[in-house]
Amino acid sequence: MRKCISLLLFALLTPALALAAPNPKLAIPSFSALAQKATESVTITLDPGLLGLAAKFLDSSDPQDAATKEVLKGLQGIYVRSYTFDKDSAYQQADIDAVRSQLAAPGWNRLVETHSRKTHADVDIYIMLDHNQAIGLALIASEPRQFTIVNIVGAIDLDKLHKLEGQFGVPKLDIDPSKAQAPPK
Amino acid sequence: MSDDIESQMRAALRAVAPREEFSQKLVANVTSRQPPARQSRRGAARLHPLAWWFSASLAASVMLAVGVHQHLQQQRLQQSGLEARREVMEALRVTSQKLNLAYEAVRSQSTSLTDEGNSV
Repeated sequence: MRKCISLLLFALLTPALALAAPNPKLAIPSFSALAQKATESVTITLDPGLLGLAAKFLDSSDPQDAATKEVLKGLQGIYVRSYTFDKDSAYQQADIDAVRSQLAAPGWNRLVETHSRKTHADVDIYIMLDHNQAIGLALIASEPRQFTIVNIVGAIDLDKLHKLEGQFGVPKLDIDPSKAQAPPK
Repeated sequence: MSDDIESQMRAALRAVAPREEFSQKLVANVTSRQPPARQSRRGAARLHPLAWWFSASLAASVMLAVGVHQHLQQQRLQQSGLEARREVMEALRVTSQKLNLAYEAVRSQSTSLTDEGNSV
């Protein structure tokens, strides 16, 4: 009887636990209206299969390729949407909010929130931690004529990301995941 | 006189039964010329060279088709791989560009704070 109850509880709780598990993959809208208005758009969707394929075409003897290969290890997806416009305020705040609202979910922690008075650019960096290991990264950059969303899914090694410093122009942000803050609810 | 010649000719041209040896030799000759059953099949193959050519060209076509298919598949895979590699590089470029933007904002903020501290 006890065994039956345990099994029943297990069967009932498993889907609930699966739902409760943090999911670092954001549901990024298609932004088709924005893409039509944009003068330049970047849409990148790299799932685990494509990341694996790309890694095979990286030359380990080349320093930049080798560093990129190291970063790709453990990643399960890279999703980028970037739109550039020829005039200011071509996109709505609601477009960003659709993504930002997902970052209020449990698991996401705001790492950096910046606002530049000079360029009027806002950059927010969020990180999802699981047992002190970054398993997801989200970046929202809104500038007057540009709007970018980056979502990296998987075991992100920030040290390895730092190693890309200077190769893609990646700056050393001195990011300490332990100082990440949970976003205000 | 004429009757005599005629009778002589009739006598010379009369039907005569063949000798026993002749029949035997004829039968033996015919039998030796007849090909065996297996030989007859080979003979049939020899008789249809087009069939051989058809089989050979069919096999060559199949091999060529398989080769071309594999080559195209390899080419497609290579194209997809190079495209994926390009996308990874582009994604990292965009990410680094935005990280740089955040870095610049953080740096300018800390610089202004230091300046304010120095002026006080």
